[in-house]
Amino acid sequence: MDSKLFPEGVQRCSFGKFMLWTGFILAFFLWGLYAAVLVLYNGIGTTGLDNYFGFGLWITFDLAVIALGAGAFFTGFLKYILKIKQLEKIINLTVIVGFICYSGAMLVLTLDIGQPGRAWFGYWHPNVHSMLTEVIFCITCYCTVLIIEYVPLILEQKQLNKVPFIHALAHNMHVNMALFAGLGTFLSTFHQGSLGGMYGVLIGRPYAFREGFFIWPWTFFLFVLSAVGSGPIFTVLVCTFMEKLTGKKLVEYKVKALMGKIAGTMLTVYIFLKILDTWAWATGYLPSVGLTFDDMFYGVAYGKWMMFTEIVLCGVLPAIMLITPSIRNKPALLYTAGLLDCVGITINRYVFTVQTIAFPAMPFDKWFVYYPNWVEWASSIMIVAYGFLVLSLSYRYLPVFPQERGLNYK
Amino acid sequence: MGFDRRTFIQLSVGGTVGILFTPVLWKALDDVSIWTQNWPWIPKLKYGALVDQPAVSKLCDSGCAVKVRKAAGSAFGTEGNEDNPLSKGGICPICANGVQVMRSPNRVKGPMKKVGDSFEPITWEDAKAMLADKLAAASGKVAFISGDQTGTANEVFSGFLAGLGSEDYLQMPCDMQAASRAFNGVMGGEGQVAYDLENADFVLLAGADAMESWGPTVATKKAFAASHPVGEKASAKYVFASPVQTHTASVVDAWVPVGEESMPAFLLGIAYHLIRAGKTVNAADFGAFSSMVMDAFAPAKVEAATGVKGAQTAALAKQLMAASTPVVVPGGTSVATATAAFAVNMLLGSLKSVSEFPKAVESGMTVAERMSNDLLGWVNKGAAPAVTMVYEANPVYSLPDDFKTGFLVSFATEWNETAAKADLVLPNAFTYERFDDMQNPYGFGRQTYTAGVPVCRPSLDVMASTDFILDLAASMGIELGFESFAEVIAAKAEVVGADFDEEAGGLFEGDAVGADVSALGASVLARAAAPARGAGAVVLAPYSQLIVGSQKVATTPNAPCVISNSVLMDKTIVAMMCGVTAKKLGVADGSKIKLSGGNGEAAALVKINEGVLPGAVAVPLGLGHTVGDEFSKGVGDNVYKILTVRSEAATGATVWTGSTVNVAKM
Amino acid sequence: MHMKEFKIKWGMVIDIDKCTGCGACMVGCQVENNIAPMTKKDPYNYVQALTSERDDADNKLRTLTWMNVYEMSNGKSFPEHEVAYLPRPCMQCGNPACVPVCPVVATDKNEEGGIVSQIYPRCIGCRYCMAACPYHARYFNWWDPLWPEGMDKQLSPAVSPRPRGVVEKCNFCHTRYAKAKDQARENGEDPMNLPEGAYVPACAEICPTGAITFGDLNNPEHKVHQLAKSPHAFRLLEKLGLDPQVYYMSKREWVRKQGDNYNAGDKH
Repeated sequence: MDSKLFPEGVQRCSFGKFMLWTGFILAFFLWGLYAAVLVLYNGIGTTGLDNYFGFGLWITFDLAVIALGAGAFFTGFLKYILKIKQLEKIINLTVIVGFICYSGAMLVLTLDIGQPGRAWFGYWHPNVHSMLTEVIFCITCYCTVLIIEYVPLILEQKQLNKVPFIHALAHNMHVNMALFAGLGTFLSTFHQGSLGGMYGVLIGRPYAFREGFFIWPWTFFLFVLSAVGSGPIFTVLVCTFMEKLTGKKLVEYKVKALMGKIAGTMLTVYIFLKILDTWAWATGYLPSVGLTFDDMFYGVAYGKWMMFTEIVLCGVLPAIMLITPSIRNKPALLYTAGLLDCVGITINRYVFTVQTIAFPAMPFDKWFVYYPNWVEWASSIMIVAYGFLVLSLSYRYLPVFPQERGLNYK
Repeated sequence: MGFDRRTFIQLSVGGTVGILFTPVLWKALDDVSIWTQNWPWIPKLKYGALVDQPAVSKLCDSGCAVKVRKAAGSAFGTEGNEDNPLSKGGICPICANGVQVMRSPNRVKGPMKKVGDSFEPITWEDAKAMLADKLAAASGKVAFISGDQTGTANEVFSGFLAGLGSEDYLQMPCDMQAASRAFNGVMGGEGQVAYDLENADFVLLAGADAMESWGPTVATKKAFAASHPVGEKASAKYVFASPVQTHTASVVDAWVPVGEESMPAFLLGIAYHLIRAGKTVNAADFGAFSSMVMDAFAPAKVEAATGVKGAQTAALAKQLMAASTPVVVPGGTSVATATAAFAVNMLLGSLKSVSEFPKAVESGMTVAERMSNDLLGWVNKGAAPAVTMVYEANPVYSLPDDFKTGFLVSFATEWNETAAKADLVLPNAFTYERFDDMQNPYGFGRQTYTAGVPVCRPSLDVMASTDFILDLAASMGIELGFESFAEVIAAKAEVVGADFDEEAGGLFEGDAVGADVSALGASVLARAAAPARGAGAVVLAPYSQLIVGSQKVATTPNAPCVISNSVLMDKTIVAMMCGVTAKKLGVADGSKIKLSGGNGEAAALVKINEGVLPGAVAVPLGLGHTVGDEFSKGVGDNVYKILTVRSEAATGATVWTGSTVNVAKM
Repeated sequence: MHMKEFKIKWGMVIDIDKCTGCGACMVGCQVENNIAPMTKKDPYNYVQALTSERDDADNKLRTLTWMNVYEMSNGKSFPEHEVAYLPRPCMQCGNPACVPVCPVVATDKNEEGGIVSQIYPRCIGCRYCMAACPYHARYFNWWDPLWPEGMDKQLSPAVSPRPRGVVEKCNFCHTRYAKAKDQARENGEDPMNLPEGAYVPACAEICPTGAITFGDLNNPEHKVHQLAKSPHAFRLLEKLGLDPQVYYMSKREWVRKQGDNYNAGDKH
């Protein structure tokens, strides 16, 4: 029915089947949309957030997807600036994943701020000292860059591309893509760092606060490195997931392993610095303000097991797995390492967001446990569903994987 | 169509510039920033001249001397009255919310009569006629319950009641009543006991939660503050004896854990040391008193009865004797505690009293007379008058036992349990909307009289109950000597000797004198040696916090977010007990329990608080309203209903001291 | 970030040994600053009525209490147990954690007097400042401010009610400062040298035990100037380096220790 719209020389499932799949995803999307409408209409009071947990699931979600979406800028950087040719086989997917992650994060942010109508105040009344200002600037600008990177892919759709104007436009955009890739890299590096800085500068929050050298450049680079140490492998996971779903080979394993190697190298550097940072924090900063390492943890919700899981199980372990060629070259192990890597980074963003503010700085205060309510989950799931929709449509109608024809229909 | 790099750049730049130069974008942004701060449902402020007007705020039990803050002629807030000795600029948490209570949608909007199960509006004229008929038909079987401790309004009402041929003028149970029955009754004193905290150098608060809910809290706190100047050495020592570390315990110099029912024994244990040290009192029964104390309140016996170490009692006695102006302040409704405390004060030579002000209404009762009637005993005996009138009180809510009556009249300002049960609701003007006064609030150290005038115009169809009764009396041919309460206040101010002004009210200050008693109550106190408790598993230690409300005023609109999680959690009251008690009961922090005692049950959440006497469980009074606004209705359970009323062995007074409850896990 | 030095530094010295925890300050603060009582129903919002109710005061993590009284315990067993109450307004930090993080300059510390401001029409409600403040002095307007019918007839003229979705906080009743300065100008006095008592926030004024002393920490003629130097004085979390303008004092050592983060193994 819609086969004329498919990319050249590939097969797709029947339209009915696709509709069924889309409907399934849409159900989640609509549930989340209902939650989002409630948030916008009734206010953020509808969520599980409170005065102790002004940041919660949404901010964790934002930070995690922004880190995982880092595959886009880093792969772009490697492909366009460092000219690693191999990566062109997966670059389209990294762009789409990046676009989904960033646009999704912006949608969540719109829900998260109490006055969405004033979202643009960040441009109008910027506080140049605030890390968040930098984040607002860079995320919005980079999201625009991602749109610019995504648009030519849409224009290359088989039917659209027959229009001479669109063809020419797509061509011109492609020609200038290195410029945008460079711009994207610049913006991304900054805001990934600033996201770390956002927590690192919290002088009143000993869990996250870092002094002097440990804030700049240390924390900044920890966040940049952790993002580039997980983003590329996240794209690989997405790709593999799509392969399992469609039953087709989309990218050759060599490229995936290369992405794994890139992420692994970055992760190794990151985790080494992270351990140093944690050690310096626990033995240097904390005692200097009359606190101990043990003070920072509480019960199961904020237990030390979380830090162990983050740094060792989901940090050191996948780093070793990814940089060891014999392990990396086994698909099952590569994917396991990738999953661990992504989980570790997500935990990192979670503890920085929630545990930081859960620690009762005033000793006569107490720990509270934060539970996101259904509204926060639903709206976050809406973003995931939105990602699935974009990805499904892109896969069905756009020439995302240059290798697909070669790998499946020889 | 040619599409080269130049076209591409032209298109991109042109598009961007074009969007930026349309006014649509900028106008939209400008509009957004305006309407995000001007939603139509957010109230606008009214500005105008700012004025502060002195008034009396009779919301809390002792009353606060306040200033009502007005902008553009309309009241918006309340502050303390610096010029009044009872306030000195301070204000209690109930009265701090006075204007908000005045504007509450829970106000009774006009006179109402009960028809079937609901209320219908009635005119003041019809209401007056209806009540006149009922009173005429009752032929003297009429009672009046008052929750107003200090007002001259009581003279009007008791005079009216006398005119109807009844003496059942009943005061709601209060500390003032216990003190009056001890001092004027048991000990044969004249006037009213005064506690000169302003000049004291040692204060023993024997169960009086003086920095929270006992007496004129603001004046007490001011006296405490003056003796404990910030950053300097304190000039007085405050010791607090009580079963629970209530708010008072957080600031006093020492806390002595003593159960409410053990308080007389604790005090007489102190008296033992004073008598041993040679202290005497010029009273007829001193000999009997002395030998009774020596015999029944020897250190070992007192330690066994109270749990307070003999050495601690001895040390306290020593400190009291060493002080130049010591004061012992009893708390609670136990007449025995008050008598014992006054006896100790007599031994120390520090008991003071103020004389009662002359009456304005001839046929009205004196303060001591109206304090002598025992409401709880009256209810217990099964009194059933044909007509009961209730003023500034909520007995249906705050009496442990139900009282029987024929026709019930409530002069409630706001809807409460008593009003909801009444046959006739005649809304009293709010305290800022009427003439009212405060004569000698119990607990203050000097004579004071404060008269207040209306500072706000009523916005509802309400009427000062005093004016209504004066009107009714006139129509029934009962001569009270006044046509309006404004005249009564003016007359009162005159006999008191206060400067009175129709605009600003009036004030009189006098001194206290050394009190004289004819007896120390030896025969009565002899029976107080063994603390009397109920048969339940744990002793109930009820406490009050003004932020929660009082026995007559429910939680005010701005108070709920101030009420701590140690008092109330998720609409369930918190039962505080120490770890030992919890272990004995088999409960833990956070356990949900059911307390049963008296005529009812209450659900509560356990909170471990090591500041509670072992064997006792501390629960807040003032919650669990079934009528009222969303700030009080359905919030927690009513602890008054689990109190057990009994006759005090020593004095025959009806009290709830020593109430016990059984505890079951839920 | 380097913070401005001020000639006038308004501050408080709160004597914990005199605070009974009665809550009058909290009520006074709400009345002065038009903080609406928490009501479950929103008569203007039908979507609200169809879905879940708003919070009432049960949820202490959702209340707006610019001034908040904390309960402290010495942690000992009966009968050695002691209790204390600690009123917590905004600390108006000299080195505030909240100001540099605000992306839109909705909060600032630049006016003479050193009060940390909050510009409600500017705030976008990102809550980063709340995450930054370890004192929990900042509050978010989770719901629209609604007064029970009739109670909004006359509100305090001191400050406009804030719409939902913005952060708000104690500002030492800033309008009273402005008014005191105007009054001084009218009387031909120096508005930059107000005498003690010319400007007092609502909480300090209402406190029945006078536990809160308010004044200019830099002015030797004001009591707070000396009191802040008392050996019994301390500041909350002083070690974190936020340099609060609110001081506390207590003769009880355990209170002082709990106030300033003295923890395991730390001798001071």
